[in-house]
Formats: sequence, structure tokens, C-alpha cells
Amino acid sequence: MTEQVVDIPVKQPSKSWTQQVVSSLLKRTSAKIGLAWIGLLVLIATFSPFLASSHPLYMVVDGQASSPLLQHMEPLDWVWLSGFFITLVISALSIVAWKKILLWAASIAVVSFIAYSSVTPPVLVVYEHYREMEAAGKVDNIIRAPIPYSAKDYLRDYADTGIESPLSVKERTHWMGTDENGADVASRMIHASRIALGIGFIATGIALVIGTIIGGLMGYFSGIVDIIGMRLVEIFEAIPTLFLLLSFVAFFGRSIYMMMVIIGITAWSGYARYVRAEFLKLRQQDFVQAAIASGLPLRSILFRHMLPNGLAPLLVATSFGVASAILAEATLSFLGLGLVDDPSWGQLLNQAVQSSTFNWWLAVFPGGAIFMTVFAYNLLGESLRDAVDPHTNRGMQS
Amino acid sequence: MLNYLLRRILLMIPTLLGITIVVFTVMAAAPGGISAQSLVDGMELEPQSRQALEDYYNKLYGLDQPAPVQYVRWLNNISPIGFERLADGSFGAFSLWKGPDLGTSFRYGRPVTDMIAERLPITLLLNLISIPLIYALAIGIGVQAARQRGGRFDVTSNIFLLGLWSVPSMLAGVLFIGFFASEQYWRWFPTGGLMRRETADQTFLPLFSSFGDVFITVLCVALITVALISAAVSFSLKTRQFAGLIVGALLGYAMAVNLHGEWFGLLHLLLIPSMAMLFRLLAGLNNIALRIVVTGTFAIGLGLAISRLLGVEILQGGYLLDRLWHLVLPVIALSYGGLAFLAKLTRSSLLENLAADYARTARAKGVDEEAVLWRHVFRNSLLPLITVSATLLPSLLAGSVIVESIFSIDGMGKLAVEAVQTRDRELVLSVTLISGLLTLVGYLLADIAYAIVDPRVSYD
Repeated sequence: MTEQVVDIPVKQPSKSWTQQVVSSLLKRTSAKIGLAWIGLLVLIATFSPFLASSHPLYMVVDGQASSPLLQHMEPLDWVWLSGFFITLVISALSIVAWKKILLWAASIAVVSFIAYSSVTPPVLVVYEHYREMEAAGKVDNIIRAPIPYSAKDYLRDYADTGIESPLSVKERTHWMGTDENGADVASRMIHASRIALGIGFIATGIALVIGTIIGGLMGYFSGIVDIIGMRLVEIFEAIPTLFLLLSFVAFFGRSIYMMMVIIGITAWSGYARYVRAEFLKLRQQDFVQAAIASGLPLRSILFRHMLPNGLAPLLVATSFGVASAILAEATLSFLGLGLVDDPSWGQLLNQAVQSSTFNWWLAVFPGGAIFMTVFAYNLLGESLRDAVDPHTNRGMQS
Repeated sequence: MLNYLLRRILLMIPTLLGITIVVFTVMAAAPGGISAQSLVDGMELEPQSRQALEDYYNKLYGLDQPAPVQYVRWLNNISPIGFERLADGSFGAFSLWKGPDLGTSFRYGRPVTDMIAERLPITLLLNLISIPLIYALAIGIGVQAARQRGGRFDVTSNIFLLGLWSVPSMLAGVLFIGFFASEQYWRWFPTGGLMRRETADQTFLPLFSSFGDVFITVLCVALITVALISAAVSFSLKTRQFAGLIVGALLGYAMAVNLHGEWFGLLHLLLIPSMAMLFRLLAGLNNIALRIVVTGTFAIGLGLAISRLLGVEILQGGYLLDRLWHLVLPVIALSYGGLAFLAKLTRSSLLENLAADYARTARAKGVDEEAVLWRHVFRNSLLPLITVSATLLPSLLAGSVIVESIFSIDGMGKLAVEAVQTRDRELVLSVTLISGLLTLVGYLLADIAYAIVDPRVSYD
């Protein structure tokens, strides 16, 4: 008798809406696949210097032990590493969500400041150096990264390096072949995962902030502000994003930060639409009227009272937005308008078909990585949409 | 209706002005003005004439003036009505038909208007072929998925379409070229461009050596098409799947032999089962319309191949066939993404309407499920598809940037990339402006279609 009672799933009223959504999200296979791939990507991006680097992890030369890898770590590497652990620690803390975000941003800022002011890797990087030392027999003991080539190591010490198919070179192992400059494709792909993730998060973050502010003001004030805002949204929607991106890229330089800003600036209109629609619904509700009546400042009404209640459609749009931001970067790099020397999946894909030969490893691996990442975010977005939509849940039960 | 149309067109004007402001701001905020490097042969000029040229352009575009003045000048130049511009950069009399002047390309030294007039029809051709294709297939798949909600077709097509939607079109294009156009694998399609050079002085239709050959070809294609389509319509599911399996296996075998020439290898093991499964799936489609389209296409191909085997010689491929042949891969690469998106939209829109009160009423009064679907629900489900057609055009335009540069088709998209690579100011701005204008026209057409189809939209 008692067991039967336990078996019946009881809707617990104590569970918050967020927890409900998260638990219903985690029940879906597609969401699990998406999250697993993104998690794997985050791990790869965080530990990319340890996974693929020409610098040995540990080396003993003439009885002197050293770690060239740690010496050559860039400030950005340290920021990624510490950011990863900070995120782990903060997500384990039990405090309010907005405090978590604030704490996270503050600690990332502090870490970046410390890293950029204290870490100074050698300006001149010679990758061949270790291989030459090893060949000369000077090295007593050496531990290398799993893929012993850096992303920008063009293997100049080997004669006539160039495009090579996977595992075709006898004296070296390139699991995914090499690109046209002779750099290891696997290594470049590992390092490029950072760019994909970074672009995805930061560009979408920028778009989200702009879209939320403009959309929120439009929905809250309605009337003339709404009319002007909607025209602005229409203008940005009327210019095809890729063309706008192209003209931005044409006139401004090509740096990763510039690209993040540009993709962010061109992508905000969708978020503004969603936030506006939600806020138009919310502004008539009692709790908002109460907040206005108690004389709260506008900032507090908009972001502390209204925004958390209108978060659901925004969250779904964000997931799809990250996918399209990653795709935008890949497209720009593919068209040869992306970063110049830094690794990027799109740029590797660009080398797949050149001068009438088809290098399949340059299409399959980077293209597959772009596809998987975009697919993962789309899967996540779709399951999120089903999870927050009461309509589909009802449909599934009936 | 006329009133509505007029109001709608008038509302476009502020948006259009806004687009020009955004485009101009991007340009004006950019560091660096016009320099010798960005001009045709600019670096080869003597210092004095280079200076003179720079001065000329500064004067022409009013670059020595504040930004708002520059903007008004630029607006006057691009608008079809305005003050005429004289050769020295000053303005002449007001004219109602001076025509838009998009400036001269720095890199090519030609008027931008001419270049765009050359390139735009090609991009429009690609898009106008893609849009009906996308709609036809998407509606077929969407209807089928909605009919078997929760069924096997629904679940698999849902995942498959989401996957298809996530495939970047550059990956698809590169794989198409790599596998179906390069010399290393199957060389079935041309690698790029829209026509071969020889075709320019050939007849429009294919030219055969004798009338008998034409007759044989037509007979082959017609017989095989009729036979296969009637088989696809009348045979039972089991038979069709079995036939598909056999045909797919044979085709896979032929592909493998074509590539390697050996009798048996790893490729055979890989290709035969996968092609067999693909054809079994296609033959097992439940939707009659989709099945007819698929078998029809396959049968025409098969008929042509068999007539070739029978000894029919084609003297000249002709313009039409050649153009179609060149268009196959780009059109597929351009349309699969929109197809996936629209099919999902059709499905959800149909499901929403199938659960609506009016559908229940129809069922309650005894209308059978087919008629409920096609006469009541289907028509109402088309509304979101019309709304979305407005956003389809910009995404297709953006897609054609990638597809055109992969397949080296000289359209607007490729022009845009070339312009950006050479920092050709006038060209970049004009292309962005034209694409914005096209999108606005797309919005307008979608709105008009919506107003015609949905009587609830009021015209005043």
C-alpha cells in the first residue's frame, strides 16, 4: 500500500519553475546529447594547451628539469583555466542567480587583470627547438602533450611540409592530416574550439544585452518608444545579416574581439522582438503595477521584476542564437574574411577544395565540428522550447 | 486594398531611410578614407597625379565635409529623384528622372549600377528556382509528419530535419564539389560556373543526330517514367521497399565500380548497404506526392541513361541542359536549409490547427479525416508559411553568398565577397543597400499575399 503511494509522481509545489524546466530538460535525450557535446567542447577549449602543444609538458635537459609548456602559457590560457574552475566553484554555491552572475563576472575580471599584468610569455617562440634538441640527444627525459604540435607550428624544420592526408607521413603522426601551411589539423581544431565557443558566448551576450534593453524599453513604455524601436528592429532585420557583417568586416579590421562585437551588433533584433512581446504582456500585470506604485526605479522594475518572468522565450532564442553566431564566424572565416593566422574551423574548411583537388580531411573534420556544435545548440534550443512550453507538455500527457 | 497597398508602401520609406543610415554609418565610422591603394592602378600613378586623384574623389564624395552633409550628398546620389551631380562634384538643377547613381567601383573602374544589373539576375535565378522547390518539398514532408504525429516518420524526420538545418551550407557545398564534381571521386556535375564556354554558341535544346534518336530517347524516358510511377503508386509497401533495396544496392555497386574499378573492396561494403537503405527509405515513403516526385526524377535519369546505352548520340548538349546541369548542386546547397526549417514549421502549424475547435467541429459533423486535413486545416496552416516567406528571402540571399563563392557563380553574393576583399567602398555599400531593398520588397509581397489569403486582415 505504502509503496503504491510513493510510486505516484506527485507534483511538488516547493519546486521552483526553473528547477521544473531544468529537470524536464534533462529528461530529454536530445538535450543530453547537446549538453554532452557542448561540455566536451568546453573541456577541450579549456585544456587545449595541454592537449596540443609543441612545448613539452616536462623536460629534463642536462639534469635540469623544466616545463616549457607552463612557461609559454599565454595570459588568455590562464584566464580560460581559472575561469573554468571559478565557474565550477560558483555553480556549486547556493546563492541567488544574479549574485552568481555578478560574482562570476567580477572574479573573471580580477583573474584577467592579474593574468595580463603578471604573465609574460617569451615573445619569440621557436617550436622546432625541442625536436632539434631531442634529435641531438641532449634531452634526458621528456613528456609531450598528446598531440605534440602547436596550432601555429608549421613544422619548418621538416623539408617541404604542406598539405598531407591523415597518417600519410612516415616520421610524424598527424591524426587528421595537415593543412596547406603544414600545421597539424587536429591541433588547429582543438585550439579553434576556443574561438567557436568564445564567439558563441560573447557575441550572443552582446546581442542579448542590446536586445533586452531596447526590447524591454519598447515593451514597457509602448506607444511612441515602441513605434520607433520597432522601426529600428525592422531596419536591422531588413538588411541580410551576412551582408551587414560583410560590410562591417570590409571597413573594420579583423580581430576576434571586433568579430564578436560585430556579430553581436547585427544579431540583437530577434531578442528585442521576444523581450518586447513578453514585456507588453507583463506590464499590465498586478506585480508590475505594484512595483511601479511603490516607486521603484525603472532599472529595478525592468530587470528585477519583469525580466525574470519573461526569461523563457529569451532562453530558447539564446540557444539558437549561439548556434547562428558560431555559424556566422565560420562563414566569415570560410569566405577568407576571418582571422588571419589564428586557427578557425571555417578557415580549415576553406582549404578543403583548392585548385581542383579535394582534401577530404579538411572538409570532414572541421565541417563535422561546426555541424556538431551548431546541431548541439539547436538540439538544446529545441528541447528548451519544449520544456518551457506548457502547450507541448500537455500534449505529451494527453 | 489599394489603400492598404499604398499605406504599406509609404511605411517602407522610413525603413529604407533607416537602412541607408545604418549602411552609411558603418562606412563613415570606418577608419581611413579613400586612398591611392584602394583605387584602380592607384599605386602606379605619379605622386602628383595620385594626389590629384585623391583630391578629386574627396571633392566628389564630399569627404572634407561633416558626416551629416556627406550622408545627404550620398542619399541624393543614390535616390532616383534629386539634384543632378556635375562632373566637379557640385550639384546642378533638381531633376525628377536623374536616375540612381550608385557610384563607380574603385577596383573595376565601372559604374556599380551596371555591375549589379549584370549580377543580380543570376542570384535571383538561383533564388527563384529554390523557393518553389523548398515550398513543395517542405509542405509534403510537413504534412506527412503531422499526419503520423508521434509515429516513426514523424520522429525520424524531426531529428533528420533538425540535423539538416544545422549543416552549414559551406560544408554541404564543399562536400558536393568534393565528391560529385572533383576528379578524385564521381565526376557527375561541373565544378563551378553556370555554363560551359562551348555552350554559348550552341542551340537551346539538345541536338540529336537523327529523328530516330529523339524518338528513342523520348520513348525510353516516357516508358520508364510511366512504369516506375505506376509501380510507385500501386505496389504495396513491402514490394516497394524490396524494389528500393535492390535498386539502391545496384546503384551503390555501380558507383563503387565507377570509382575504383575493382570487383570488391571496402568501398563496396560501405556504399552498397548505405545506398540500399537510402532507396528503401525513399521507396517506403507514405506520401504519394513525395513518392511520385522522387520516382519521377529517378526515372527520367534512368531513361536518359538507358537511351544513351541504346546508342543514342547527342551532338550538342544545348544551352538548357547545360544550364540545368550546372544548377543542380548549387540549388540543392542553397535550398536544403530552408527546406528543413519550413518542413518543421509546416508540421507544427498543421498540428496546431488539427487540434483547433473548427477541425473538431468538422470531424463531429462527419467529415472524413482526409477532407478535414486538406479542405479545412491545410488552408489555415498556410498562413505562417506565407509570413515566413518574408524571412526566407534574406536567408536565401545570405546563403547565395556562400553558395556562389563555393561554386564560383558570378552573382551578387560573389560580388559582395570580392568587394569586401578589395575594400571597394561603393560596391560594398551598394550591394548591402540592394539586398536590403530586395528584402523589403520580399516583406511587401508577403504582406500582400497574406492580405489576399487571410480575409481577417482588414485593408484600412
